[in-house]
Amino acid sequence: MAKFSFTLNGSRTEVDVDPLTPLLWVLRDHLGLTGTKFGCGVAQCGACTVHINDEAVRSCAYPIEAVEGARVITIEGLSSSGPHPLQKAWIEHQVPQCGYCQPGFIMAAAALIRQRPKPSEADIEASITNICRCGTYARIRRAILAAAG
Amino acid sequence: MTESSTLSRRDVLDGLATSAVVVVLGRLAHTEVLAQSSASVVPINAYVAIAPDGRVTLQCAHSEMGQGIYTTFGAIIADELEADWSQCNVVFSPAASPYRHPIYNWQFTGNAESIRSYHALIRKMGAAAREMLIAAAADRLRVRPTELIARQGMVHHAASGRAIGFGEIAASAAAKPVPAEPRVKPESEWRIVGGGRSQPRRDIPAKVEGSAVFGIDIKVPGMVHAAVASAPMIGGKPASIDEASVRGMNGVIRVVPLDNAVAVVAEHYWQARLALERLKVTWQAGSGGSFDDATLDAMYRNAFARDTGWAGAEKHGDAPATLAASSRVFEAEYRSPWLSHAAMEPMNATVSVTDAGVTVWAPTQGLQMTQIVLAGALQIPPEKITIHRTYLGGGFGRRLLADFVLQAALCSRAVGRPVKLIWSREEDIKQDWFRPAFLDKVRATLGADGLPAAIHHRLVAPSILAPVSPVPIKPGTVDGLAVEGLVEHPYRIPHRRVDYHMLQVPIPTMVLRTTGHGPNNFTLESFIDELAHAAGRDPYQYRRLLLSENAAALAVLDRAAALANWGKASPGRFQGLAFAEAFGSYLCQVVELSIVDGAIKLHKITSVCDPGRVLDRVNATAMIEGGVVWGLSAALYSEITFEQAHVRANNFDRYRVVMLPDTPELVTDFLENRSALGGLGEVGPVCIPAALCNALFAATGRRHRNLPLAAARVFTVYGKNFS
Repeated sequence: MAKFSFTLNGSRTEVDVDPLTPLLWVLRDHLGLTGTKFGCGVAQCGACTVHINDEAVRSCAYPIEAVEGARVITIEGLSSSGPHPLQKAWIEHQVPQCGYCQPGFIMAAAALIRQRPKPSEADIEASITNICRCGTYARIRRAILAAAG
Repeated sequence: MTESSTLSRRDVLDGLATSAVVVVLGRLAHTEVLAQSSASVVPINAYVAIAPDGRVTLQCAHSEMGQGIYTTFGAIIADELEADWSQCNVVFSPAASPYRHPIYNWQFTGNAESIRSYHALIRKMGAAAREMLIAAAADRLRVRPTELIARQGMVHHAASGRAIGFGEIAASAAAKPVPAEPRVKPESEWRIVGGGRSQPRRDIPAKVEGSAVFGIDIKVPGMVHAAVASAPMIGGKPASIDEASVRGMNGVIRVVPLDNAVAVVAEHYWQARLALERLKVTWQAGSGGSFDDATLDAMYRNAFARDTGWAGAEKHGDAPATLAASSRVFEAEYRSPWLSHAAMEPMNATVSVTDAGVTVWAPTQGLQMTQIVLAGALQIPPEKITIHRTYLGGGFGRRLLADFVLQAALCSRAVGRPVKLIWSREEDIKQDWFRPAFLDKVRATLGADGLPAAIHHRLVAPSILAPVSPVPIKPGTVDGLAVEGLVEHPYRIPHRRVDYHMLQVPIPTMVLRTTGHGPNNFTLESFIDELAHAAGRDPYQYRRLLLSENAAALAVLDRAAALANWGKASPGRFQGLAFAEAFGSYLCQVVELSIVDGAIKLHKITSVCDPGRVLDRVNATAMIEGGVVWGLSAALYSEITFEQAHVRANNFDRYRVVMLPDTPELVTDFLENRSALGGLGEVGPVCIPAALCNALFAATGRRHRNLPLAAARVFTVYGKNFS
């Protein structure tokens, strides 16, 4: 066990856990933020996507010791003032089906439009590499384009 | 694995000793379930309760796993009730008799049954409550009930302009006699569902905020966590477990041996995972012995060589004699692979076992199955088991079973605390009950008109229904779900025969989204395409002739062809088409693709579906769109293979599914000509494998009869670059 501190959704946070615990399980189990999902455990599906220092990161394969001092944003902290434009677009386009993977998609899309405010379809195809088994991809693409205006 | 499944099936049967047909009136009068919910809320019947402030609580019998039932189920009742939809709250029902399937008397979510089988029942529930409210309002206003109408949560007396809210009269309405034959509204008076309308899904805001509670998100006081490792070989069991190997590790509470696996219970989930990695376990093989893809394939082929074990699933005319008399017989062999459900939320459950009873929080499709399995295994009466349903992060059939809930219950009993048990992705694949391979040898001959005169299928596939059926499915008989789509299809073919051999395999098998329709439509609709080409006919026109006596089916075919611009694709683009009657709906899908550097590039997929009535247009479209993607995964990439009784795949790198770049433009439309309601949750993928392979044939002249295409090194432009 060891102590780690980082900024989580704008607040300074300290945890005392095994240094190899993935950030995902620290968020879900120790800090009670369950919007970030467990899908594959090996950074393949993207259900666990969060932002670390503004980059999209798959938290299931990211040890807490690497988070020391970093800024972490989860789906719960994506927007401090009402829903994020992506979240609004997700509702407007009725994107989710089971919804389990959607926070991960939204976090991946948010990182994309932060880097490229007007992403092309090719940009979306290149950077949205999450998995959705319900098959909501067509609406995800539409919602990202709509949110980016 | 086999032991627990035997137990489940036997217990299920015991639980079904009651009548198989439920009387609707019995449900109308059934109110005790709702009476428990809140003192001030007045239950009108098992589905409708109204609070004094006018808030309406509606029970959803089904689990929400992405299909939108949570919204549409409630909306149907609200519409009949003439409630104000914005004042309605929908809750997931408990496991109780009023919520069982009206025909099967069995509470589950699956087979695209949630609307088509409950629609008549829940409309009556809404209508009965409305009539009781009107009767109570008539007393209060001292007028005849016929002078009153209900609208938007109020009962109105037009003549005097008076109105009274549902909440004010709920208590007296509940005391009114239950109408024997409540009058449901004509469709022209539907205000919330149907008619092209759509209600925003109630679950979506929480799902984009991250606040929606799935099974994996449950937290209850005193809860601890379990991680599981199952035997590496299918059917295997732990032989020895060295508990000392994890003693003293942080947070570890207990090692719990399970039938086919071992669990570690710890204060936190990752502590359980770390301990599980270090835990020394030896395994013993199951009775199924070793097997791999080649030995399984030999089992399928041996079945064809045997005369025994076959059962006739359909006989019209005399297909064998017609084929024997024909000088030109077309013959092909089609194979669909083993598949895993791979829902995004791995199997998990939270269970608290105490002396007083058992409480379950689970993402389950199999409410009653769970109750019965736990009751049998823990030797407690079913009524002492309370099940709270969460949202399901996908189901696709897998969550009909209760094996993962039982593991959590056994851990809870062992440690005396509530336990949340979560399978890793690797366990989720390894402990799956797979959709088995389907192997069909099909023969046909053409009449003088070029249309099929006879068709004869010989299908070998393990049962998919057995583990989830409330009645036993015996070897040597027909599994009705395994032959779906081959039997009773609407094509005009005079001599038809379907023979089925229920193969016994040492692998657990069960239903998966599309059930038998998926693999069987791939066979039938690819083969019909072959026959059309053999007859020198356009595949669309050929099917028009086969459906010429079926106006509703023709309308679907014609609409799809028109929307897809059939036959008029730009140069370099190729189209393939397939048709299905599945889950009570008609579906036609057209795939348009091109070949770029030897790989498939998908351009557009057109789907036209007739489910009788579309109750929610936006959600129905989502079901078809998502279904297309499911069908593409099955056609292009997904396959479970075996070596030495092990499943080769352990995660999404080896169990590949379609991702965003493979998803082309999707065009979806609906017709409403069928007289009865059909399902939408499972039909969307059904025609995709055949339509895709038919388009591929149009493009390349090569016929693919074995899925997935990636196994034949046929990739998409995107898939080729997948590392």
